[in-house]
Amino acid sequence: MTARRVVVTGYGIVSPVGIGAEASWDALVAGRSGIDRITLFDTAPFDVDVAGEVKDFDATQFMDAKDVRRHDRCTHFAVAATGEALRHAGLLGENGRLAGDVNADRFGMVFGSGIGGIGLLIEGQITLMEKGPRRVSPFMLPHMLPDSPSGKVAIDYGLRGPNMAVVSACATGGHAIGEAMEAIVRGQADLMLGAGTEAPLLPLAFAGFGQMRALGTPKDPDTGEYSPPMASRPFDATRDGFVVAEGSAVLVLEELQHALARGARPIAEVVGYGSSADAYDMAAPADRGEGNQRAMQAALDRAGIGPEEVDYINAHGTSTPLNDRFETMAIRAVFGEHADRLAVSSSKSMTGHAMGAAGAIEAFVCVKTIESGCIPPTINYRHPDPELTLDYVPNEARAADVRVALSNSMGLGGHNSTVIFRRYEA
Amino acid sequence: MTRNPRQRDPARAAVVTGLGAVTPIGNDVETFWRNLTAGVSGVGTIASFDASGEEVRIAAEVKGFEPRDWIDFKQARRMSRFAQLAVAAARQAIDDSGLEIGDHNRDDIAVVVNTGGGGLEEVAEGEVTLRDRGGNRVSPFMVPMMSPSMAACQISIQNGIRGPVITSVAACASGVQAFMEAQRLIERGDVEVVIAGGTESAIVPLSFAALANMGALSKRNDDPQRASRPFDGDRDGFVFGEGAGVLVIESAEHAAARGASVIAEVAGGALTGDAFHISAPDPSGYGATLAMQRAIRDAGIDAEQVDYVVAHGTSTPLNDATETKAIRAAFGAHADRLTVSSNKSMVGHTLGAAGAMSALAAVLSIRHGVIPPTINQEQRDPACDLDYVPNVSREADVDVAIINGFGFGGQNAVTVFRRVAS
Repeated sequence: MTARRVVVTGYGIVSPVGIGAEASWDALVAGRSGIDRITLFDTAPFDVDVAGEVKDFDATQFMDAKDVRRHDRCTHFAVAATGEALRHAGLLGENGRLAGDVNADRFGMVFGSGIGGIGLLIEGQITLMEKGPRRVSPFMLPHMLPDSPSGKVAIDYGLRGPNMAVVSACATGGHAIGEAMEAIVRGQADLMLGAGTEAPLLPLAFAGFGQMRALGTPKDPDTGEYSPPMASRPFDATRDGFVVAEGSAVLVLEELQHALARGARPIAEVVGYGSSADAYDMAAPADRGEGNQRAMQAALDRAGIGPEEVDYINAHGTSTPLNDRFETMAIRAVFGEHADRLAVSSSKSMTGHAMGAAGAIEAFVCVKTIESGCIPPTINYRHPDPELTLDYVPNEARAADVRVALSNSMGLGGHNSTVIFRRYEA
Repeated sequence: MTRNPRQRDPARAAVVTGLGAVTPIGNDVETFWRNLTAGVSGVGTIASFDASGEEVRIAAEVKGFEPRDWIDFKQARRMSRFAQLAVAAARQAIDDSGLEIGDHNRDDIAVVVNTGGGGLEEVAEGEVTLRDRGGNRVSPFMVPMMSPSMAACQISIQNGIRGPVITSVAACASGVQAFMEAQRLIERGDVEVVIAGGTESAIVPLSFAALANMGALSKRNDDPQRASRPFDGDRDGFVFGEGAGVLVIESAEHAAARGASVIAEVAGGALTGDAFHISAPDPSGYGATLAMQRAIRDAGIDAEQVDYVVAHGTSTPLNDATETKAIRAAFGAHADRLTVSSNKSMVGHTLGAAGAMSALAAVLSIRHGVIPPTINQEQRDPACDLDYVPNVSREADVDVAIINGFGFGGQNAVTVFRRVAS
């Protein structure tokens, strides 16, 4: 029996650079930042007042108004991005649910989130303090858990196959796509969503990240002027922290024969997945990106390809001093001389860091580079860091024939996940 | 189509070689099992906070847990309680298995420890600090402490384990999923050993307010030990609990090579979604039935071979009737020959740890030939008509035990444990 191959047949995205795949991709290729002054809450008490917010998002376009009120923003994003992905894959019926000729028992998902419905949780605590326990919403608990988006997506679209929500901080999205791929390979399902969602833009999260001294300052490093889009400067010598962002991205993964049989177009193949732990520290990455190296190597091994076959790496590239340095070292260690022929870029320069959604957003970017032959840039790159000497595709998108693209994700606590996509070849 | 079990390599079978437990009825495996088979309830009046004016004042709390027995004092302070409980249970399980972790194997060990709410306590406290004392008094450790992935991370960090570290959340089905994931990591050869389990600790006012307002909790405040009564006619909701359970699971060849004693095999499992409602189970029980059927098929056995079903059995009116119906649909006539019991009658519902409590019950029943009871069986419910091992444990040869976990949002997980021929 030959191994079951897994292809991407659809995608959907809600991100700080756009709602929908077309708008988001146009912005990424144009090098347009989605980072701006925060509008979701009063930032007066905070030093840093910028984030990658999803703009002009009206959840009632995707869910009924009562559901919108009861669910967290991270669930709204998940439902919206899933709808787009299913439609794109040709799997959405006229009633807005899964098309009738698809076996719903064989269609599942791994829908990750770093922290789930933290907005509802905080709202509950405020109600508890101000109005007492009897006023806490009965919907708070089931709707705040990190698996609430995966539950709601299953309900809204009628997907009844294997359903789980992985949590591994900022490595979540990569784990979700990798685990979804494995579920198809081992025959548990024919169709899986591999996806992530996050909505962490709340005063408490800002206080927490601010206290960790982890956030990038929104200043032009040359003039010192206030400039929100300049806050995220991955790989630049002046980088000083990441920018918190929100959003969701969904890939529809499908067993190859299943896709071909229904006439769906394979956009790319998911060929590799690797996962590892630093076993080092709760917040800092291991020296020289040692854990990231092992995740990349495991993904290459799983894919059965050599490092020289990789054309593009979508870096984790958070814009923190340590991450970008160690990730560069890890890429050099795994790819050797080929590291100088690779293109490496960080979408976080434009989207900010959407935590549990980041890996899914960046997997979307990898698939699009293969589909379109265009690599989005790392923007705000002006001051080369003498230690960081890869080709980061500075400031301008580049046309390139990308056959194999790799996405890196790393999370607090020392989680590493790597996913590899390849152009579909029959 | 599920995997064809006949094609599997027996060398890559996933076997259980160590156990750890921190629970409302005992902070080690021996005490847990003694109390579980003696029918001792771990439910009492809430001690973690003053609940005297609240609608629900009872819980199944872990008693007398001292983090410093297991973790360096300074590190323990920077861990939320759900992570502390998990680190302690993992330490016990690793010691029990005799596994030595060093440079020769640390990359080939994974951690899969799941949870429901993670560090919910840190978020609730953080918001209080933010409002009362301002943003710059919020702990810099709050973000890494609250992340649900931190129990697995801390087990990795404390033990120097560098293979995959995975946390998945499926509300009350979380724990059950961990063992399935472990079996698959071992089967496909990613690693040799998986530290797998579940943990939960959220005995804070916010969770009680929320669960009570859902109408999910038992209000039998004056009679705590009789409050959790799964399948009984007088059940009125679940009792919220905390705890952690961890199993060391490894490939059969790895266990054999190091001469480890094998307790049972993780033979298979399945996940399904109800696609029905965010907190209520589908009353037809379809998703639960499908998960049991697929898990049994995945394990390569017949339904008639199952001896014991460790029920999800929460003690809510809806779950227990639906689960009974689902068991009947999955097993047909064999349902009347099965034994079914719910450890939640004693340890309460520990959400993300519940599957781990059930896994402990399953493998210990296989090891000792004793099935723990469902306590507080007093009034027969016509909708619950299986053999729930009422009130008193029972001696029985258990070759195959399955554990059920059904979560908010309709996530169903079932894992199959089997005796290993010696």
